[in-house]
Amino acid sequence: MAILTNEIKDALKVVGKGGSVVHLATSSVDGKTNIVAERFVTSYLDDYILIADMFAQKTKVNLNENPQAAISIAHPIGERSWVFRGPATVINIGAPSTENWYDVNYGEVLDEWGDWAAKEPPVEVPPDIAPPKVAQRGLIVLKVEEIISSKLQNSGEIL
Amino acid sequence: MKLTLRIKNWIERFGVHAALSDEKGQITIIVSEKVSVDGSLVTIDLSENQRNQIEGVLSQNDYIALAPGQLGAIRAPYQLKGSAHLVNGYLEVEIFEIYCTKPGPEAGIRLDVLGYDGMKHFDESRWTDLAPANSN
Repeated sequence: MAILTNEIKDALKVVGKGGSVVHLATSSVDGKTNIVAERFVTSYLDDYILIADMFAQKTKVNLNENPQAAISIAHPIGERSWVFRGPATVINIGAPSTENWYDVNYGEVLDEWGDWAAKEPPVEVPPDIAPPKVAQRGLIVLKVEEIISSKLQNSGEIL
Repeated sequence: MKLTLRIKNWIERFGVHAALSDEKGQITIIVSEKVSVDGSLVTIDLSENQRNQIEGVLSQNDYIALAPGQLGAIRAPYQLKGSAHLVNGYLEVEIFEIYCTKPGPEAGIRLDVLGYDGMKHFDESRWTDLAPANSN
């Protein structure tokens, strides 16, 4: 099991300084990958990453076929060059609150992160990029099983 | 499909994150800041470790998805899909699908079907930063 360090948690949480925006990659069962940037992201417990599901259409289709996913830091600075890999799922708003996926309780994470834009308004996003309305459909959860370096000199090394 | 000047400018300035999948659906992401574009061909400069990392994956599946890196992740919301091959140590990607990934109702729109002029119009009607502001 991989453990997210405080430095990683900080990079996943703090906007700017090499953190907060990530790329989420998934793949169809026949190997067609999809990679998109995601702004609402945080760590959860010591080995999960949560992302708000806004318009993740292809991502959700892929995860239904193939639960494997990977996340990279969009703007890696210095040592903050990681790829996180493991199974992922989608927890839709309205899903039964008593359900669990690994150690993640649906009700608990939806209560805290189900209205992400209200909890943490994306005030730094310029108006020409911000969506006219933030419509969150749920949460995408990645269980981090591997932390992999994306630095040029040791890219692919499992940390 | 030839990339628009805006897409070219942004990924040449800030690089790409490239996602590949092996035959078991296991995903590999590599990050490169050295990218050049010529028409529909995106050439990615790889380190030796990156070449070793993806060589086996590419032998199973040449499908690849690219997304702009760094500030481009926010200001250049595109996804490029194509087939990739290692050529003289570089990763050459022939692009055949281009998508808009701007958060909101336009997320997922397939742009390449608009044709080059249509994509150019799409860019120019939505963006004034046809190149990163801090590029040379």
